[in-house]
Amino acid sequence: MANYFNTLPLREKLNQLGVCDFMDSSEFLDGVNALKGKKLVIVGCGAQGLNQGLNLRDSGLNIAYALRKEAIEGKRDSWKNATDNNFTVGTYEELIPTADVVINLTPDKQHTSVVNAVMPLMKEGATLSYSHGFNIVEEGTQIRKDLTVIMVAPKCPGSEVRAEYVRGFGVPTLIAVHPENDPQGKGLAQAKAYCVGTGGHKAGVLKSSFVAEVKSDLMGEQTILCGLLQTGSILSFDKMVEKGIDAGYASKLVQYGVEVITEALKQGGITAMMDRLSNPAKIKAFEISEELKDIMRPLFQKHQDDIMSGEFSRIMMEDWANGDKNLLAWRAETGETAFEKTPAGDVKIGEQEYFDNYTLMVAFVRAGVELAFETMVQAGIKPESAYYESLHETPLIANTIARKKLFEMNRVISDTAEYGCYLFDQACKPLLADFMKKVDTDLVGKNFNDDKDGAVDNRTLIAVNEAIRSHQVEQIGSTLRKAMTAMKSIKTA
Amino acid sequence: MLKPVVHIENLTLKHQHKLVLIDLNWIINRGENWLLSGKSGSGKTSLVKLIAGILSASGNIKIELDPTHKLPAKTLYVASWYQFKDLEGDSNFYYQQRYNSQQAHRTHTVYTELLKYGQENQLDFENLDHILNALNFTELKDVQLIQLSSGEHKKLQLIKALWLKPQLLILDQPYTGLDALSRKNLSELLNEISTEGVQLIMICDQTELPTCINRFAEIKDGSLTVAKSLESVSVLPKKIVKSIPNFLSKAPVSSSEILISMTDVNISYGEKKVLKHINWEVKAGEKWLLQGHNGSGKSTLLSLINGDHPQAYANNIHLFGNKRGSGESIWEIKAHIGLISPELHWYFDASATVFQSIASGFFDSSGLFKTIGAEKQAQVEELIDYFELNEYKNELLKVLPLGKQRLVLLARTIIKNPELLILDEPCQGLDQQQTEHFNHLIDELCTNGMALIYVGHFETQLPACLTHKLLLNNGEVIENIKAYHTKKELA
Repeated sequence: MANYFNTLPLREKLNQLGVCDFMDSSEFLDGVNALKGKKLVIVGCGAQGLNQGLNLRDSGLNIAYALRKEAIEGKRDSWKNATDNNFTVGTYEELIPTADVVINLTPDKQHTSVVNAVMPLMKEGATLSYSHGFNIVEEGTQIRKDLTVIMVAPKCPGSEVRAEYVRGFGVPTLIAVHPENDPQGKGLAQAKAYCVGTGGHKAGVLKSSFVAEVKSDLMGEQTILCGLLQTGSILSFDKMVEKGIDAGYASKLVQYGVEVITEALKQGGITAMMDRLSNPAKIKAFEISEELKDIMRPLFQKHQDDIMSGEFSRIMMEDWANGDKNLLAWRAETGETAFEKTPAGDVKIGEQEYFDNYTLMVAFVRAGVELAFETMVQAGIKPESAYYESLHETPLIANTIARKKLFEMNRVISDTAEYGCYLFDQACKPLLADFMKKVDTDLVGKNFNDDKDGAVDNRTLIAVNEAIRSHQVEQIGSTLRKAMTAMKSIKTA
Repeated sequence: MLKPVVHIENLTLKHQHKLVLIDLNWIINRGENWLLSGKSGSGKTSLVKLIAGILSASGNIKIELDPTHKLPAKTLYVASWYQFKDLEGDSNFYYQQRYNSQQAHRTHTVYTELLKYGQENQLDFENLDHILNALNFTELKDVQLIQLSSGEHKKLQLIKALWLKPQLLILDQPYTGLDALSRKNLSELLNEISTEGVQLIMICDQTELPTCINRFAEIKDGSLTVAKSLESVSVLPKKIVKSIPNFLSKAPVSSSEILISMTDVNISYGEKKVLKHINWEVKAGEKWLLQGHNGSGKSTLLSLINGDHPQAYANNIHLFGNKRGSGESIWEIKAHIGLISPELHWYFDASATVFQSIASGFFDSSGLFKTIGAEKQAQVEELIDYFELNEYKNELLKVLPLGKQRLVLLARTIIKNPELLILDEPCQGLDQQQTEHFNHLIDELCTNGMALIYVGHFETQLPACLTHKLLLNNGEVIENIKAYHTKKELA
């Protein structure tokens, strides 16, 4: 199968990359009507599958689960999840032929086999829904011409999709209709109704395209979200140990610091994160993040270029075919790092201390978010899409690090993200070697403000504030965040 | 002479520019078990938290425990609010999560939790069974923490404290949410450990106290007054009864004659049957008392009515004229109902102000996500006024004293003048005066034709309007009475 994006003429490439519309709440007044009375069959019952299904049913829609025969006979977790909640469960053969909408919520890697199994069974004129466009865009799967193909992608973990729904809210969601598969022109109406059914319409909906979603999602996850958080965490930990900081303290600072720091990001963007620092620390963090941006820019650009050309997915699919050799070797390597092996010490670290003693991570996060955002926008992705795939998701990934460190982060994220993270981390560490030599404990491990008088030059501070606040990611972010201010903040341990 | 166990001198505590405790003095000698009373917001909880070292204030608190005694030289504070964590140490759970069955087990079971606790504190496991038996907990050993009811969580918290037997045990509203038998057994267990050397400080509004309580104190205007007996603790004056706001004196719009109908309803989690063959009908305007021991299935039953339980779809339930699972959304169901429960309170939006919390009742959401018009705003203001919450209006709900938080959520429950009120232990945390005030309001609202389902463990604290009663025992209906009268009325 040919990479779909690469088959398009440049005009159409740009056209699809540029689909980006932050939808007004008035566009959802028709509620779930476009799907009312229709038979919706979800394939897969993991965290996304189960929780989206619970929401859709509670919104008055008809939901059943199609699982593989082995999962049903073996009474696997997916089978238990669905039956314990009193959903109808059946095999593909039993449920797909009568389905009006088939919702594929299996892991990315299974998409090809799932779609190949499901497509011949689907009835004429039905709809196939995805939550990620990799299969269509990168693997180039061709869907039968009578079928409608849509995407509905809640930008949060499955448990949060449920938690926000039951309290009367929702999570930000991205929707799309594949232009090659909208024969009846009903795709958008159905995607919107689906979105209302999961509660997403209350927290902000971005209309995107399969192409824009894939190219921005891949870029975000391998650079700022997983890649840089991984590299930055390990370098920070090793630096502290090298400089004689207690390993338990270092481990705790790194494990939880990134979550505390990026919580500010969630509420008020880069500006709020930087404002948590003292004035001298903020100026310092600004300066070193500028330096980091210069060092890492070529690497970010290479990742974006490889994603756009299809090179990234080509080598990753090679590794899939090769039994995940590279991926598994690297996963094991992560599990062996000193950071991973050192348990968080039994020390209390106050909320502000995470900022004051971990200025380096603030700089890493600013550099990574801005670079990922800038690189995406330069490649033709619209700022709104770029925002969701960089700044918005950073705290969500940071939360998984706080839970169980990097090994867990790599386990939880998709294999696509993990493979990208692997490529990034390999290349980034040597790139930062010289930079890290200059880093001392005032930036990581000890309070930056110790032994300083706190004085700053007015004009420098004003210029730094101006530069932070006027960045495009801040301007677009403040608009988008208004739509989701009501989202619950992540609780820290 | 032995030094006092607790010696407090000139304790002064400020909360947001308001003096809560002023130069307070208190001496607790060996052998004394105290009841601490005072009206809601008087500073009871703050005072005991200061003793437990959770809060700090100006003044002196000296605690002298006996390091040579066989019991641990510890002070333990058992909060009125339970809190449990998942395996990763978070308490990031959400409303009604316990009903959504999911394979990934994220919490300990009761047994593994107790095992961990016992090992951490080097406790003798032989002493545990007696406590578990007394509180009817033996059969819950293999249950996941997330699946426990609110009353069962309360019990687990008490079991740990009774097992630890710290030399100084501070209990904040320990009887809240417990059924009558458990309350009686708890009193006996407390008497037992006090003979072994545990000293108690107890905050409690109930009159049924363990007999070991031998000293009585009351906080009034920031100071501590010692009373001779329970009877001489000052009785709060009856509240002057205000008439209810105008917009609530209209009869609610009824959707159908039969609001709820359940036919042979069964709920189970794996092998465990939680509700068995339930048949129940609630007609418009009926006032039901729902009772049963902790874990008997009351909250599960109510969750079926409120659209919170996934297994409702597999049962024969009609709500407000529609069969459950016939294309209605849970928000359409909730629109008919005003609900309060310990769970709703526990998982309520932590970032909502008092005003937002009340206004969220219009939409049945936890937190306010929409702007409301002038008419609705005025109604919120009227209720704030009615419940005397004006000074708290723009404060975060979570920083208010527990009793005040309850009043706010009660206001939220009635704001839309619903046709059905579901009040699951609504008066938890309220003092006697507030309870009477609230029950009076319920009586008045109910004269207008509102239907009511009321869960309350305390017979003396029920509204007078109740006329029907459903009694559950281990998931089965054992009484379904059409002419019920509260004891208060009979007395």
